[in-house]
Amino acid sequence: MSKGARLVKPASYTALILLLFLVPLFVKGAYPLHVLIMVGISIILTSSLRTIATTGQISLAHAGFMAIGAYTSALLVMDLGLSFWAAFLIGGIAAALIALLVGYPFVRVRRVYFAMLTLFMGAVIRLTIMEWRDLTHGSSGLLNIPPPNSIVIPGLLNIAFDSKVPYYYFILVLVLISLLFLYRIDSSRVGRTMLAVQQGDSVAESVGINVTNFKVLAWCVGCFFAGIAGSFYAHYIRVLTPDSFGVMQAIYIVVYMVVGGRRRFSGAILGAFIVTLIPEVFRGLKEYQPFVFVGTLFIVIFFLPEGLVSLPEKVRERIRKRRGVSLGQS
Amino acid sequence: MTLALLAQSILNGLAAGWVYVLVAVGLTLVFGIMNIVQFAHGEIYMLGAYCSYFLIKSCGFSFWAALPLSALLIGLLGIVLERFFFRPFRGRFEPSIIVAVGLMVLLQTTAVVGFGTSTKTMPGIISGVLTVSGVTLSWDRLLAILVGIILVAALFLLIQKTKIGQAMVAVSQDPYAAALQGIDVNRISAVAMATGCALAAIAGSLMGSIFSTSPFMGTSAITKGIAVIILGGLGSIPGAVAGGLILGLIDGLVPPLLSPTMAGIVGFGVIIIVLLLRPRGLFGHE
Amino acid sequence: MANLEIRGLTKHFGGLAAVNNLNMNVNHGEIVGLIGPNGAGKTTVFNLITGFVRPTKGQIMFEQSDITGQTTHSIADKGIVRTFQLTAFLQDMTVLQNVLVSCHLHPKAGVWEAILNIPSYRKKEQYACDHAMDILQFLGLDSVKDELAQNLPHGHQRLLGIAMALSANPKLLLLDEPLAGMNAAEVRESLTFINKIRSAGTTVLLVEHNMRAVMELCDRIVVINFGCKIAEGLPDEIKRNKDVIEAYLGAGEHVTC
Repeated sequence: MSKGARLVKPASYTALILLLFLVPLFVKGAYPLHVLIMVGISIILTSSLRTIATTGQISLAHAGFMAIGAYTSALLVMDLGLSFWAAFLIGGIAAALIALLVGYPFVRVRRVYFAMLTLFMGAVIRLTIMEWRDLTHGSSGLLNIPPPNSIVIPGLLNIAFDSKVPYYYFILVLVLISLLFLYRIDSSRVGRTMLAVQQGDSVAESVGINVTNFKVLAWCVGCFFAGIAGSFYAHYIRVLTPDSFGVMQAIYIVVYMVVGGRRRFSGAILGAFIVTLIPEVFRGLKEYQPFVFVGTLFIVIFFLPEGLVSLPEKVRERIRKRRGVSLGQS
Repeated sequence: MTLALLAQSILNGLAAGWVYVLVAVGLTLVFGIMNIVQFAHGEIYMLGAYCSYFLIKSCGFSFWAALPLSALLIGLLGIVLERFFFRPFRGRFEPSIIVAVGLMVLLQTTAVVGFGTSTKTMPGIISGVLTVSGVTLSWDRLLAILVGIILVAALFLLIQKTKIGQAMVAVSQDPYAAALQGIDVNRISAVAMATGCALAAIAGSLMGSIFSTSPFMGTSAITKGIAVIILGGLGSIPGAVAGGLILGLIDGLVPPLLSPTMAGIVGFGVIIIVLLLRPRGLFGHE
Repeated sequence: MANLEIRGLTKHFGGLAAVNNLNMNVNHGEIVGLIGPNGAGKTTVFNLITGFVRPTKGQIMFEQSDITGQTTHSIADKGIVRTFQLTAFLQDMTVLQNVLVSCHLHPKAGVWEAILNIPSYRKKEQYACDHAMDILQFLGLDSVKDELAQNLPHGHQRLLGIAMALSANPKLLLLDEPLAGMNAAEVRESLTFINKIRSAGTTVLLVEHNMRAVMELCDRIVVINFGCKIAEGLPDEIKRNKDVIEAYLGAGEHVTC
């Protein structure tokens, strides 16, 4: 590839990132910024779910781990007075630790069982949050969760989280760091090995790959980022109820991943972006809106099984086939 | 903890357990024959409850007439779902899960939109309680348990003694070999789905009348159903019974003995421990 | 020295003994053939050696250390790698990717190394890539390196299985029916490869049904039937062994060991 051609990709990514940083200059309303922030949260959730799926495991507990991160972080700040910046990380670590606790028994069972176990676990997490009223205030929820502590560098910076803009930049940075990390896992030897674990665990074992360890690794990394997303969510929305983290929410994240397409890293991002926008675009439909959501899912699953991200190549294939036919006839 | 309270807790647990069994038995049947995790099974259960509700309220049927009718209608719904949603993806793990969860959202939303979010009460089957030496059980729960036992026994006999039942066993063990023997796998899948859905409809109707009917009652049913069949073993009816009763007992005993918070965790812990020792569940094979 | 010693190896499945009190050795630098009628238990022996299945009784020693009952991946780390009868490979990945994945142990790289993409990791990746290409060239697969594994013709798929096993730098290579479904020319080619593999320093134990190939290739042959060893020796001896001939003709009833 010529030097110029090799620079196109990094250049366009850099341009895109710059553009994202400039968004608040053009987008002034609180509502559009809110939507973008929610998209950011979804992107972290969906991409980390995809990492778990790389080893062939479909997790329906992702909302549950988001809840663990959210409640851990909120309670550490509210009850123990910790700084947000510590609590936020601990939220993610708590999620990862709980994932590790159940990881080994979970990954040893058949894939079918794994999906079922994670659904059940998500329900148990939600139920425990609801019942542990002393700690979590049950269904009444946690209210008035403090925003992140202001970032203060004397003389230089004083960023207070009192409007949507600082939150936007925060989630933007968080998304970029998370995606970088997850992308590095995916595109390196680790990701390659995880794919091997999915496609042939016997042959992987026989060449020395510790299949169980890699499954647990993918699982814990994925759950860590779910926890981080949850921590952010808690201090952004500033109200937490167990109902935000139920089975349905977990299913939605899987839908984002499937609609976007989970073979490619960008599929998760695309899915999160598009499907999070559906409720916003179709706001008027109110309670009919899940129909659009499910409709999209079924259209994808019946007609574009590899997700929306595979659309360009499917179109290209069709064009190539048509061209091939007409050339043959000439 | 007094003996009476202990006995009451055990009884409550067993009563709850039988409902779990009814839900789980249908789910395990579908799983064993069709090899799909029918996550939308809980919504079928919910639709069964609503079907009975409308048969009673709008068409004037009595509860005991509505029950089998609802089972029939929902069984037919199951056949339609199997044909158009599950058959195209038969044998493929991921798409089947996606379709099932998609159906879950679809059916639940249909119920929310069609019936509203408020809970409905069905006229009770029978009122009053039965008290024996300080331990109480309401009549409707007792009847639910009896219906459950009869149905599970009937299903078990169906599978062991009839040709169609044996065909189901053949398909669940090896669909290719079964097809070679001349068994129509499509027909068996349809029958399994219909039976599973009918059982769910009955369970839903019973629970809907004992407690209440809401569009969201399916989610707790599927969660419990899944827990039961993981514990008992996928595709095993004795497993569904054992798992359901064990989890029912845990739900009955843990809140008074420990605390309500712990019920979910203890159940979860028991399942994890069993899986560590027997990765296929208590009665699982394959 | 790549020495494999099997003592009293027994495996029961339910009531049936798939492998019954097997004693055999494989010495460094040998090509040993393990033959027997269908269902004799040969693949079970492979499964036992490589840790896919735990023995009911008995001991397996490799290079003077006990590997009985260890996990497959740690046995691979000790130097024993196998191929599979129904060729196992990663369907949705290219030939090169399949072999790259198999370089997992050589060279080993840590997870954080990989994520941070530090120079030592990049060097290891480059080395793995070169190693993979060497093996593909050795087996004549370099021309199809970017083909999806599932699109390869059957013969090439079997070679891919061998390539993947070789990438793990085995001291002892277990080949499970490497010649199955091959035509005469492909068999010729494979025998040459297996000899070259041995010359390069890898000990080979293979299971095969192609008798002519086995007789030609192997230094020593072990014959099992119904899980028991019924004969052992040089190819010429085995050819003339009455028990062996009977076993294959089906005249032998269940032999007790």
